Amino acid sequence: MAWINKNWIMGGVMKGLAVTIKHFFQIGDRPVVTVQYPYERLEIAEAFRGLHAVSEERCIGCGICEMNCPNGSIRIVKYNKWYPQINIGQCMFCGLCVDTCPMDAMVMTNEYELADRSKEVLIYTPNRLLFKE
Amino acid sequence: MIFENIYEIIAFILNSAGILQYMQSYSDALGISIAPKLIIILIETALLLVGVALMVMALTWMERKVLAHAQARLGPMITWYHGLLQPVIDGVKLLSKEDLMPKRADRWIYFIAPMIAFVPALLVFIPIPFGRDGAIISDLPMGILYVMAVSAISPIGILIGGWASDNKYSLLGALRAVAQDISYEIPMVLTVIGIVLITGSLSLQDIVLFQDKIWFVFLQPLGFIIFLVAAVAEMARIPFDLHESESEFVAGFFTEYSGMKFAFFFLAEYAHLFSIAAIMTTLYFGGWHGPMIPMIPPIITSIGWFTLKVLVIIFFTMWLRATVPRVRVDQILDIGWKVMIPLALFNVFITGLLVAGGVL
Amino acid sequence: MARTEEYQLNVGPVHPSTHGVLRFVLTMDGETIKDTEMVLGQLHRGIEKIAESRSYLQFIPYTDRLDYISGMTNNYGFTKAVEDLAGITVPKKAEYLRVFVMELNRIVNHLVCIGSLLLDLGAATMIIYGFRERHKVLDLFESLCGARMTFNYIRPGGVRGDIPEGFIDNAKEFLRDMPKRIGDYAQLINDNEIVHMRMKGVGMLSPEDAINYGVTGPMLRGSGVSYDIRKDDPYSVYEELDFKACTRPECDTYARYIVRMDEMYESLYIAEQALDKIEHLSGSVNTHFPRIFTPPEGEVYSRIEAPKGELGFYIASDGGTRPYRVKIRSPPFCSLQALPQMVEGLKIPDLVAAFGIVDIALGDVDR
Repeated sequence: MAWINKNWIMGGVMKGLAVTIKHFFQIGDRPVVTVQYPYERLEIAEAFRGLHAVSEERCIGCGICEMNCPNGSIRIVKYNKWYPQINIGQCMFCGLCVDTCPMDAMVMTNEYELADRSKEVLIYTPNRLLFKE
Repeated sequence: MIFENIYEIIAFILNSAGILQYMQSYSDALGISIAPKLIIILIETALLLVGVALMVMALTWMERKVLAHAQARLGPMITWYHGLLQPVIDGVKLLSKEDLMPKRADRWIYFIAPMIAFVPALLVFIPIPFGRDGAIISDLPMGILYVMAVSAISPIGILIGGWASDNKYSLLGALRAVAQDISYEIPMVLTVIGIVLITGSLSLQDIVLFQDKIWFVFLQPLGFIIFLVAAVAEMARIPFDLHESESEFVAGFFTEYSGMKFAFFFLAEYAHLFSIAAIMTTLYFGGWHGPMIPMIPPIITSIGWFTLKVLVIIFFTMWLRATVPRVRVDQILDIGWKVMIPLALFNVFITGLLVAGGVL
Repeated sequence: MARTEEYQLNVGPVHPSTHGVLRFVLTMDGETIKDTEMVLGQLHRGIEKIAESRSYLQFIPYTDRLDYISGMTNNYGFTKAVEDLAGITVPKKAEYLRVFVMELNRIVNHLVCIGSLLLDLGAATMIIYGFRERHKVLDLFESLCGARMTFNYIRPGGVRGDIPEGFIDNAKEFLRDMPKRIGDYAQLINDNEIVHMRMKGVGMLSPEDAINYGVTGPMLRGSGVSYDIRKDDPYSVYEELDFKACTRPECDTYARYIVRMDEMYESLYIAEQALDKIEHLSGSVNTHFPRIFTPPEGEVYSRIEAPKGELGFYIASDGGTRPYRVKIRSPPFCSLQALPQMVEGLKIPDLVAAFGIVDIALGDVDR
């Protein structure tokens, strides 16, 4: 216990207290960094990998996205022509389908609030994914 | 107007409203002439309960806000403006929880333990002077001794709470918490002896009146530091956070409690926080002394100064909580017995020399 | 005559201090720990077996989920193994981008480690400050590759895409602000007497024992052995960059903590140099990676310096599109072997401190 009689003034603790009080009064570029989520949202970058969107004209139904999906969440189904159907509950949003699409028909939008109440609803059939140019 | 204590204030108010004479005559006719006194005492108790409950709710809000702002975030914001209704909503949530009891727990002791922990935290407020002329419930002649004795009853509640829940880790946690509590009471009492040597009186009102020229924190710096460390340990705050340190692999004595019983332990902790900060203010920081404001009656400004000083001390403990980690169990007891007690005895020795030499 | 006997204490899979699902069975004598047995494998997902039925490009998202805090480094570990196997060359700009991204990931990893160690000890502010910086780095990564945790950015042949506009300015702003923040954390923790009481002299591991157990990374460098794969077996463009490997001679938890703080400063310096080069280079960021990729037959073991230690990938290929066998040498799994020796004779709160600085991520321990 000899050391505590040497530094009973607790200088290190005082230095730490200085840091915390600077954050409390927001001195010197230490702002509050949180937002109140449902009422304000943070900005998302343009390259964000969110929900998929398939261009109606450019997709030819080749199936390369289905071949490259690591866990088999994409299936090509018939809907007028042949279009992908994605199981959002299983998809891991890795972006390999976007990278390997030969016609650049698959893109990923910025939408991330995709939660829903049952698993069957999460299989997005082509009518929910297609968009016109 | 100078009053003696709150009893006289309430009697004065009822008298000038004319209710007291009415109650007196009615009870004389019924044969129990002591009834108005009892009714005033009941009003006093209700005021104490309501005051402490409101203060504890405000402290829970303050804790969450202070910790949040020290951590670069905001804290509760949604319930009303800046989360001011958050304690009320927390209370409603705790009331609506299922009240469990383990199957082999000791029924009556399990039921009583939270109350034994909570009631002494209320009783401690009786001799503490909140304000200038008579904002005190009862000025006991041996005030500080009563405070120290009553605050030693809470560890009993913790101990039987840990025993009554049928969980060996709760028992271990309760034993450790009680060990910390009792080993830091001794330095607290020894530093108080230093103050009593200077004032020559055990009554808290006298101690505050003695400090009108200079506060005791300047006359007893070593005593203040020891009292501060012992107070943080008594309040069971980080860095001496043995009561609820769940990551120390011991369950903690209130694991098996839920709902309103858990709320009682929780309230007891915050009432302890408030009471020990109030004692520190009266002993070292001059109690209710402070400059007067011209238009407002002195009793109200003195209560305001007292509350301000208490809140500053509580802010300091919350600031400390945001900064430092916990101290290990054996290190806590080491510091308590091997460092604090010799320093406190040394403080008593020096104070005795100075008082006998006529300096203080 | 009183007698004592040893008892077993189970620190179960669900606990606030074990960072994930990890179970300890401690044999204790009174309050002192005599023996520790760790029951691992509760997060085992069979990643190595999955690799046998995925192509080389499809396996990269799975490597993100190994050590989920530093996804870029895991991507690069696997990519380097594939590039060694098939002999693919990578353009310079892609190499510098990879180094930049991996060093930022190292900073983030050390912040999370220090933050959660101090959270277990009781100071809850450090983890929130650490996550504030992590948020800024993840914003940079999000503008670069689109995700915040499972990056899937480093591919065989280069990286996924070029930097967007505004990235260089944001990155420079981050690199300018960060030393001041690390200075804040150092002031908050380094001299704190209570931190010294909890962390000095706890969890000693001598250099010989560390080498015998196969411990690598900051754990080894905290015991005085100066072994850093970026220096001793350089890969990528680390030979052209100027940095030093940080070591400390005392072998306790506090030394390992200081090693991590020093490494954060070094990573900032490396990232500045890499960003300088990225700004002035031009060209493509990936060579063409064929749709059907069949590496030549053979096997390779390649290792990199992940933030937690030496991350090694062993790939055996039989000439087809899917690997025959992938084996991952994960750093926290090997560092955990030294834990029973580190905590023998200590109390339980010391187990919390010594375990927190080993810096495990259960995804890597159990794969």
